[in-house]
Amino acid sequence: MKVVVERDQCIGAGMCVLTAPAVFDQDPDEAVVVLLDEQPPETQRPAVEQAVDRCPAAVIRLLP
Amino acid sequence: MSLPALPLPGEDQLPFDPPPEYARLRAAPRVIRVACPTGLDAWLVSDYAGVREVLGDGRRFSTRPGQAAHVLGAFGGPDAPISGFSQLDGPEHIRIRRNFAPQVSHPRRLAELRPLVEQITDDAVTRMLASPQPYPLHSRFSTAITTAVIAELIGVPPDRHQLLHDAATALFTTSTTPDELRRAVEPLWAYLYQLVATRRARPGDDVLSRMIEHSADSARPLTDAELTEMNGALLIAGFDTTASMITYGLVCLLNTPGQWEKLCADPELAASAAEELVRYLGVGAGLLRQATEDTEVHGQPIRAGDYVVVALQSGNRDTALHPDAGTLDVTRKPGAHLGFGHGAHACVGQQIARIELTTVLGTLARRAPGLRVAVPLEEIVWKKDSVVRGPAELPVAWS
Ligand code: HEM
Repeated sequence: MKVVVERDQCIGAGMCVLTAPAVFDQDPDEAVVVLLDEQPPETQRPAVEQAVDRCPAAVIRLLP
Repeated sequence: MSLPALPLPGEDQLPFDPPPEYARLRAAPRVIRVACPTGLDAWLVSDYAGVREVLGDGRRFSTRPGQAAHVLGAFGGPDAPISGFSQLDGPEHIRIRRNFAPQVSHPRRLAELRPLVEQITDDAVTRMLASPQPYPLHSRFSTAITTAVIAELIGVPPDRHQLLHDAATALFTTSTTPDELRRAVEPLWAYLYQLVATRRARPGDDVLSRMIEHSADSARPLTDAELTEMNGALLIAGFDTTASMITYGLVCLLNTPGQWEKLCADPELAASAAEELVRYLGVGAGLLRQATEDTEVHGQPIRAGDYVVVALQSGNRDTALHPDAGTLDVTRKPGAHLGFGHGAHACVGQQIARIELTTVLGTLARRAPGLRVAVPLEEIVWKKDSVVRGPAELPVAWS
């Protein structure tokens, strides 16, 4: 599984970090999403799917 | 033929549920035309997918008219005394959000905030338990906690708290006239404008000082007016919404068989209980948007310039979201919902609100498991004419 983020539209709401802290962080300056792991292990799938669903700005995508 | 009026019938008869009509509107799902209390007509979207679609697409659905202008006569519109970043769309709006986010939703910032919220909450519980019963929970506990948290964050001393209470009461009351709103908000704005100058000269460790410092190096630093408005928005939007959610949430928990008992048996459920209460009870009045182009939702054509109201609480009760969406369940695994909105305007303060709600519920479950509402449900006095729903006051007792 591959994760992509669109940082331009990120509002830094923090849902991804709350939901999947092993995969996402926020940069210290603007609190914009930082992808810690572009190809997380399959065990992270439920958490990443949740992060996609809970991101208010819809900037996270999960590729097969 | 006259249009059905918003709020739909039954709004003030069911203390915890949206009017029953919404279940029929969601089932199809259907978008209908309604007449709003402030005189404008709008399309009403009631189902989870539809609400998410509208809020999620700021390009097609703008917040320009003001997100509560369908229920607040003094809010939005060309003469509005308050307008600002919330009515911006696109990159201009994101610029402001990027200046909020490091102060209110960065995980390391939140880790610093948590002990402050815990201390304020612990003190409030200690004060309550040392007081005679019944105790007025909404004013002395819920509002006291949420005011202290947001005021402390921005560095507004207790002798100025009345300024933000007056401003928020005027803003959230549907019958406030634009003139009354201007009079109620001006003192807070004047105070904050001065505070900006003070903090520019002598920075502290508060949100306002950090915003000044943060934006100073950017291509377009925040102006004094922008800083005033942003901090004013945090103060006004920050305490009453959360305080009402605490009070309203507790009545709902205590009134739904087994829920309070489950939380007390396992106070670690506080985080999921907090999320569930925001889903279950959140923002009854819905939010307003305006179409920027000819478009459609669920096949209903919507013309450029048409207003659209999204019913958040109804959307959260959609069986497409959870098969048992109509049931309050403190053990529900936290997931997506519309209680804090969705899209680029989703609540700025949602992580702070989560910390406050979780801390309050967990602390009460541990220290005051014998808490109960001291009057029958029918005798609770609810706020009137307010867009932030909940009891005006709540007498509680404990054993
Ligand atoms: C349980 C408590 C709360 C609830 C249910 C709530 C709900 C909401 C909702 C639904 C919106 C979206 C409005 C829209 O899309 O038009 C919103 C926006 C906002 N909230 Fe909250 N809120 C809460 C607490 C807070 C707190 C604690 C703060 C400040 C610290 C805050 C500050 C704001 C601001 C500034 C906006 C405007 C965001 C924008 O337009 O970009 N809220 N809130």
